[in-house]
Amino acid sequence: MATLLQPEKVLYLVRGEKKIRVPLSQLYFCRYCSELRSLECVSHEVDSHFCPSCLENMPSAEAKLKKNRCANCFDCPCCMHTLSTRATNIPAPLPDDPTKTTMKKAYYLACGFCRWTSRDVGMADKSVASGGWQEPENPHTQRINKLIEYYQQLAQREKLERDRKKLARRRPFMPQAFSQHTIHVVEKYGLGTRLQRQRSGAPISALYGLSLKEGEDQKEITIEPAQALDEVEPLPEDYYTRPVNLPEVTTLRQRLLQPDFQPAGASQLHPRHKHLLMKRSLRCRKCEHNLSKPEFNPTSIKFKIQLVAVSYIPEVRIMSIPNLRHMKESQVLLTLTNPVENITHVSLYTCEEEDPDDINSTAKVLVPSKELVLAGKDAAAEYDELAEPQGFQDDPDVVAFRKSNKIGFFIKVIPQREEGDVTVAFKLRHDFRNLAAPIRPTEEGEATSEAIWLTHHVELSLGPLAT
Amino acid sequence: MADPNAKQTGQKSVKIVAGAVVCVESDIRGDVTIGARTVVHPKARIIAEAGPIVIGDGNLIEEQALIINSYPENMLPDAEDVEPKTMSIGINNVFEVGCVSQALKIGDNNVIESKAEVGRNVILTSGCIVGACCAVNTCEVIPENTVIYGSECLRRVQTERPQPQTLQLDFLMKILPNYHHLKKTVKASSTPARS
Repeated sequence: MATLLQPEKVLYLVRGEKKIRVPLSQLYFCRYCSELRSLECVSHEVDSHFCPSCLENMPSAEAKLKKNRCANCFDCPCCMHTLSTRATNIPAPLPDDPTKTTMKKAYYLACGFCRWTSRDVGMADKSVASGGWQEPENPHTQRINKLIEYYQQLAQREKLERDRKKLARRRPFMPQAFSQHTIHVVEKYGLGTRLQRQRSGAPISALYGLSLKEGEDQKEITIEPAQALDEVEPLPEDYYTRPVNLPEVTTLRQRLLQPDFQPAGASQLHPRHKHLLMKRSLRCRKCEHNLSKPEFNPTSIKFKIQLVAVSYIPEVRIMSIPNLRHMKESQVLLTLTNPVENITHVSLYTCEEEDPDDINSTAKVLVPSKELVLAGKDAAAEYDELAEPQGFQDDPDVVAFRKSNKIGFFIKVIPQREEGDVTVAFKLRHDFRNLAAPIRPTEEGEATSEAIWLTHHVELSLGPLAT
Repeated sequence: MADPNAKQTGQKSVKIVAGAVVCVESDIRGDVTIGARTVVHPKARIIAEAGPIVIGDGNLIEEQALIINSYPENMLPDAEDVEPKTMSIGINNVFEVGCVSQALKIGDNNVIESKAEVGRNVILTSGCIVGACCAVNTCEVIPENTVIYGSECLRRVQTERPQPQTLQLDFLMKILPNYHHLKKTVKASSTPARS
């Protein structure tokens, strides 16, 4: 996605299970571990379900029952847009007196984008505005439900056997009634517990939540095995000679959105209920603190907890790049923005030779050796016209300009390769005041909490060499 | 008054039949005939450069729509052997805001949605809908009741033609004269120019 700011040119390294390089705007910061976290090193949890068009909240149990689909809203089977209900007046005979006719309202579904209507597939107009529309029944539902019940029972039986084996191996005086191990075992056809889920990349079974409840009677369910047929229905005779009616053929996408039926003809494309979206909360895997927790209300975009990296870590942005030439030193102008309200000291270091993080850089960089001081972010500063000068002594060779909590500074870049993009890496070290840590009540003399120094590895991609 | 044979070779002015509502701010140039119950919004442009334009009844031409009968691109305007072709537009069509229509023949009940472009060699039959921002520049006859939609101009056929916008036309014919001056209409009983 192209933006004016081009954030993908400045990447921060996240040292998680995998080393990932991501722009700062896509990162989270765990202030309890004092480390950057990316989407891959946090655990995602479902918070709530909601319908994207009617914004109706749905509790998770109800969502599971309705197969994660909204009850009121439909999707156009042709272009996947949301369908709207339209009304027409049709003359209908009065129930008392068949000779007189009165105007009654009839409702049909229509798509505003591709002009599909429910009349195209032969669905009759309904007399109620909502709730009258039914999805077609899947002819195989019975068989599928029976199979699911059978496998549920099988999974439960296997789990009990496994528990029995584990308990038998443990010391005999462990209480058998409450087996703590049951919590940690991954259910075969169910979703693992949170502790199991910490393994990133662990596949989540599709048959979520199939385990029987404790104490349910286990009746024996038998299923008939599927029977292979010898004879297959033959193709119609004119299959190869009949000309194709292109508007009638469904596209693959339209077909696969309805895996129950997969209709080949457009006149069998029925609308389906709209898929629910979900709000997720993120949790740091090491310290189990929440990094991001959205509000419950679907109409609200705010967060209850929002520990995003841009509000804690100074952000580097590229401001201007001169013509870069092979083995010639050029000055690149960068900006550093301080997101917190207290003064931050930032020092930059070049990566050492043989730095294991430094794999992408194609140019040598000379960063300012002095420490850069950034003023705190003052929310009222933009309204205060008579702002006093900040009184920082800046070396004009290093600092180009200074504006409230932002400074512009120069780095010198010497491209080492004759061709290709110029990529530069350096280390950014800054002080971070951890406001989350509890302030010790005994030492009242210290007004501020202690600062710790954090180091991040930053990579800039400065584009191609000037020809 | 949609008589394409009334090609008055000497007519260089706009002829608006009684019953049509054409705002003064619209830009109509050349030999243009506008039928009854047609509404032309302000800032609509109907330009008959390379031949006359005949517009039927009950059409709705919204703001910044451009209906232009222009010379084909590879011909100079001065070439003498170009015969002026008449652009004919049928009844109950809708030209939404910002569309560009150069099609020489447009039937009835078509809808050209906002910012759509229809090229010169396209012939719209009836009930066609050219979706928003779709550019149709092919050389073909679009079959009836075709809907062209999407960024890739996908097509599908709908089972019924779009409804004529009679309610909207009635409303506009009542409201527009309250806020805009209208161009003068010609009496309906006027006969075509004597040969």
